[in-house]
Amino acid sequence: MTQTALATATDTLPDIDSFLKPSHDEYSRQRAVAVLHSHALLNLRFDVSKTYERNVKPQFEAQNGRPPKDGYEIAKAIKDDHFFKFYSAIRYNAQEMGPMSRQAAVERALPQMIEVAREAARLNPAGGSLQLDPGLEIPRYITQVDTHLSPGNYHSEFTEDDVAQGVLLGRGLSSNSGKSRITRNRNFSGVGESIAYWLKQTYPGFKPRRVLDMATQSGANLLAYPKAFPGSEAYGIDVAAPGLRYGHAKAEFEGVPVHFSQQNAEKTNFEDGYFDLIVSSFFLHEVPLEATKRILAEAYRLLAPGGVLAFMELPPHKSCDPFLNFTFDWDTRYNNEPFYAKYRSQDPTELTVAAGFPREAAFEVTIPDVTSYDMAKYPGFLRGEEIAPPHGRGGWYIFGARKA
Amino acid sequence: MPTFKDPAAVELPRVTKGKRPYFFEDQSVDQVMTFFLELMTEVMVLRDRQDTLERMLEEKGSINRNDLNNFIPDGDIEAERTAERTALVKRVLRIHVPGGREEDEG
Repeated sequence: MTQTALATATDTLPDIDSFLKPSHDEYSRQRAVAVLHSHALLNLRFDVSKTYERNVKPQFEAQNGRPPKDGYEIAKAIKDDHFFKFYSAIRYNAQEMGPMSRQAAVERALPQMIEVAREAARLNPAGGSLQLDPGLEIPRYITQVDTHLSPGNYHSEFTEDDVAQGVLLGRGLSSNSGKSRITRNRNFSGVGESIAYWLKQTYPGFKPRRVLDMATQSGANLLAYPKAFPGSEAYGIDVAAPGLRYGHAKAEFEGVPVHFSQQNAEKTNFEDGYFDLIVSSFFLHEVPLEATKRILAEAYRLLAPGGVLAFMELPPHKSCDPFLNFTFDWDTRYNNEPFYAKYRSQDPTELTVAAGFPREAAFEVTIPDVTSYDMAKYPGFLRGEEIAPPHGRGGWYIFGARKA
Repeated sequence: MPTFKDPAAVELPRVTKGKRPYFFEDQSVDQVMTFFLELMTEVMVLRDRQDTLERMLEEKGSINRNDLNNFIPDGDIEAERTAERTALVKRVLRIHVPGGREEDEG
């Protein structure tokens, strides 16, 4: 991206986020909820391990003559624990309060934000595009429950050319940025940058012509790739239109040409071998296993020989101890992510190989989040002398393969 | 095609689709937890409002409600407030668990 392109784009189009104007109290409420949520997620979640070690595990062992063998057994045994109930109630409520604390400001800004998104789609000042398919069937796994307790989920539209759910759940509203960042090492939009950096170090000379981000939402983790690989074309697909409209307006404003289209990653309209790099983040654990298999097969079809698949996902059961599996899988039932534990029970390499990728080219690795990692240590990480921080706490678990 | 509303009249849904879990034997406790956490959040909002008032009075000697309602703190003020909120949350959510807590993530 050149400075000129950026200047041209910003002259043509306002920043769609500039219309979001929370009041003093609304802003304050958003921040307070974020602190509450972080406390539940980062402190209470690990305090649960104490009640587990001191109370739950000894009792289980007394009854069964062995420790719990997996996260499912722990989940069952801990259900009546006093601490677990409070932890869960706090975490659940804080999660639910997140979108609620942002809705009023989005409602007020909605007419203007929609206008900006329409202008972006009409003018495409950065040279990207937006292709919507109003006839696309939204899969039942998206419509049946509101993922992450966000009313309306990703896909709901309440007015013509709606962007509301895209704004609510997308980028631009993160409290975790700048000096006032609440947590040092959880930066959900650092995933793209982190994978792009790792790819460049791991595959020297790799120059993707086209990059596809599956389930891109509003492209928060897609924009890093055209920046890291100059000259590459960026494509983002999702079944939900509001995020695509919003993301397109953001990308055009920022002067990054991105081709957004409303498609289901299980079956896209791109031709065979169209991409050299296919990425996604926070995606597969939100779809049923059968869909995951179709998505990986579709990714295989879409990659050119030598192309790379790199998906950021939750670490699988096999790479975590039973207690960690239990804390991760909390979300399955309590954060409206019904496919979460089932996805994690799979072996990512086996899924990749089953989709057609060569086993010897498959990888599973936790990489450092480059927005928080001490980059002086990165060469050591690549040599295997340093390990990345755990997934979600300064590191990201990724898996994938290179197509033969 | 669904019938679309005027964008200015859109009210986003406030209720989550999906079965709500209850963590306590008596569901009333779950309901009270919601009330309590909402109230706790409002206390934090009030503290910020008071802080804004104090800052405005200190700087200008007077306040203007419109300015107050539109005030969004800069990074330094917000960093201070984040530290205050974090401390408040830790004080208020003092759960009966034996032993100390390991250093948190920040």
